Amino acid sequence: MKKLISAIFSVIILSAFAFHANAQKGEWKLSLNYNYSMPLGSFKSDIIDKSSPLGFSGSFMYGLSDKFSLGIYGGYQDYYQKFPRAVYQTDNHEVTSAVLSNSVQTMPILLKAGFSPLAATHAPVQPYVALGAGVSIIDFTQYLGEFGGTNSSAGFTAQGSAGIKIPFGKFSKSGVNIGADYNYISYSKFGYNNLNNVSLHAGVYLPLR
Amino acid sequence: MCMKRMKLLLTGLLGASAFFTACTKDPLNHLSTEETRIYVTSYDSSAVFSSYKTYSIADSVTVIDNSMAKKDLSDADAAYIAAVDRNMQQRGYVKVERNQNPDIAINVSRIYNTSTGLIDYTDYWDYYGGYWDPGYWGYPGYSYYVPYVYGVYQVTEGLMSIDMFDLKNAATHGNKLDLLWNGLVRGEGIFSANVADTAVQTLFNQSSYLKANE
Repeated sequence: MKKLISAIFSVIILSAFAFHANAQKGEWKLSLNYNYSMPLGSFKSDIIDKSSPLGFSGSFMYGLSDKFSLGIYGGYQDYYQKFPRAVYQTDNHEVTSAVLSNSVQTMPILLKAGFSPLAATHAPVQPYVALGAGVSIIDFTQYLGEFGGTNSSAGFTAQGSAGIKIPFGKFSKSGVNIGADYNYISYSKFGYNNLNNVSLHAGVYLPLR
Repeated sequence: MCMKRMKLLLTGLLGASAFFTACTKDPLNHLSTEETRIYVTSYDSSAVFSSYKTYSIADSVTVIDNSMAKKDLSDADAAYIAAVDRNMQQRGYVKVERNQNPDIAINVSRIYNTSTGLIDYTDYWDYYGGYWDPGYWGYPGYSYYVPYVYGVYQVTEGLMSIDMFDLKNAATHGNKLDLLWNGLVRGEGIFSANVADTAVQTLFNQSSYLKANE
């Protein structure tokens, strides 16, 4: 009985991931990734300098040709940092001693184009680059002590990505995806300019029939 | 078919977003009781604090609660008054009785959430008859006045407020007792005698200009 269950389970897994190798043209691929993000520039120096281990992203790409694909990308990243008590100038004649907490959530929704020069081959490692543009929904929460609130807005976002795909097998169209993204996120509120960051991602990709 | 896939993806992304949003760290859940507190000071930048030498402090606090005001003196109130007293003397000011023409009058107030909603903190003493009347300081018919602009606080929880008024120049300022300095303590657990000393000390630490001698 155990062997039967194991066999059925194996068939399900294989049918989900092990497709015969052929070109990506005309196919849809789903990619799901875990993201680890590191703030850059003024985002890092003025808002949060701690990296965010809480994030994910997903894309749904259509093969325009054997090398080019086009699709949409969505994600979520949660940044948080608590600063030790300090005195802040809160008005012309006013200062406040407080523990400052900053919390930022970004949710990009992008149109994305990808280029994978070896996608039509059986290469065990397939490099790729991608460019994306769209908007990010941004929640910025700031507290002095327990006093503060959240501001929600949207900002233009551009993304450049590079990485590698490692198919599960020579003839598999599913595999592991590892790479990095540079994210430009415009944010012109409260005197800030952007929420730029670099994120590392790792996950899986699989074709959708 | 394509629409089906798109719906599948969007459903997946929305579900994942909802999941991760639920995992978002709420800053308030990562604060200790002490870290919830803030200490706010504001002052009249045109005032020369070294020109004032004496002060008097009200012997009990004004309690503003649900739009009612009264006088009270709990252990915490007494601790706040004592802490203000101590810090003023450490800054070189001399305590006198209120009938001995003090240069500065100090009122301490305890303000709670109100059933009537938000209170505009600015000039709050105008709204509550129980607040120390200028007549208490020997200036009947005068009014309290804020000569500078400072943040408007909408009180949705309790706070301790310490107000310093200018008695020395009252007669030449249009029958007004100008606010010289204000200190606010807000956050969790502030109505405690154990907190008073640290709270008042913090207010004075961030007000280095507050001293009788240059």
